[in-house]
Amino acid sequence: MLSDSAKKPTLASGRRELRELVDTCDAIADRKFNPFFLDVKLGVETLRQFFPLWKTFEDHCMDAHTLNRLSEVVRLQNTQLKFQSSALYADPEFIVRKVEHMSEKRLVEVLLQSWHPLAELEQLTEETVTHALSYWDTLLPIAERWKKRQSNEGKAPTSISDETLTGLGVHGEEFNKQINRLYEELRIACENGKAADYWTFARRSTYQETVHRAYLISFLITYGFARLRTEDGNLSLIPIDRPTGKAAANSISFPIPVPRSN
Amino acid sequence: MENKESTQTQTFYSDKLKRAMHLLLFRRGKMPGAKEWEFKEKIGKNYEQVLEQLNQLLSELDLEIKKVKEHTPAYATQNEIPTDESRYYITLKGTLGIKEAKMIGWRIDNLAALAAAVAFLLSKQGKAPREDLEKLLSNKFGRWKSVTLVDIFLRTGYLEEDDAGVMSLGWRTQSEIDLKALMTRMAEVKL
Repeated sequence: MLSDSAKKPTLASGRRELRELVDTCDAIADRKFNPFFLDVKLGVETLRQFFPLWKTFEDHCMDAHTLNRLSEVVRLQNTQLKFQSSALYADPEFIVRKVEHMSEKRLVEVLLQSWHPLAELEQLTEETVTHALSYWDTLLPIAERWKKRQSNEGKAPTSISDETLTGLGVHGEEFNKQINRLYEELRIACENGKAADYWTFARRSTYQETVHRAYLISFLITYGFARLRTEDGNLSLIPIDRPTGKAAANSISFPIPVPRSN
Repeated sequence: MENKESTQTQTFYSDKLKRAMHLLLFRRGKMPGAKEWEFKEKIGKNYEQVLEQLNQLLSELDLEIKKVKEHTPAYATQNEIPTDESRYYITLKGTLGIKEAKMIGWRIDNLAALAAAVAFLLSKQGKAPREDLEKLLSNKFGRWKSVTLVDIFLRTGYLEEDDAGVMSLGWRTQSEIDLKALMTRMAEVKL
């Protein structure tokens, strides 16, 4: 590092060398390197070598700063020597190797033999009581909190068996029978060649039955058993002679609200 | 007359003992224990004698009063008066077994990591970059766990970290761990 600049010391090389020296000293102060990594004597010689070249105030400040950092390294070297002569000294590599090879249980045993935990008690203070009271004042009754929990927490997704789905009328033999029966009903309703009014066809005496028929009609339309036509706000159904039984690729979603009143 | 005087002294002392015990046991600020000036204020000039007497009583319960010198923080400005005061704590005189350590809320792997971290920092004269410490712990406990462990030790006061990311031993390590004993035990372990 010094050999090139020793041959031909220039202002630029001097400034660079000092910056490098300060960086090294800072790294040592941050415990990234051993303090003895730096040859302090060589550092001082470098300072002496470049001192006649300094021109500006900043150069002299840099020179003083470098000297200050070097003195910090000397202090750290002194501390290390004192530490090495103390009972606490152990080579870091030795400790790393020990930690890597020791079992967790052995490490715990070592700690427990030298560990004397603190004894203390936690207690109420005026401040904690004030906090507790303000928390209590803003706290909703338990029934309200549970209501909030129930509305916020949905049930986790679960799987459902084929039997249950058939029982609910979602699919299976029973569901197909219902669809076919409704399809036949629609064909009969349209025997005269006219389209059947949607609401006349779907509506039944109870709301529950009406919703159930509307639900089945949606399947008739989706799977190509019937076509839904809208004309001046009126909905009508037309059965298809040769149903495909498959969902149309270009189908659109058309929500039909089922009102409660007749 | 003499009897009356001795009774008065006894009462006087037991009252001071109670006050000293309260100061030591009940946490008032962020840290447990009490500072020297608190004892001077609440007990008087002879607080050291009171603490000595209390220590004798506590030793029967496997407890002892420990005096730890508080250092001035590194970030303190030059104008600040250095707080060269001591803090007193009550600590366990003996040691705990593994089962007892578990019962007071410590996980075994966390304690093992604490032993490794403290021994490592001590070997580095009490200071090391956080990356170096995490690297040591990650070899043993895994990358993510090592980060969490260092955070736990910082939170509980066993370690400290400065703005430059340099780790050092915290106030709790100084108060609770017999560092010489720890290093001796580490050295004694046969691989």
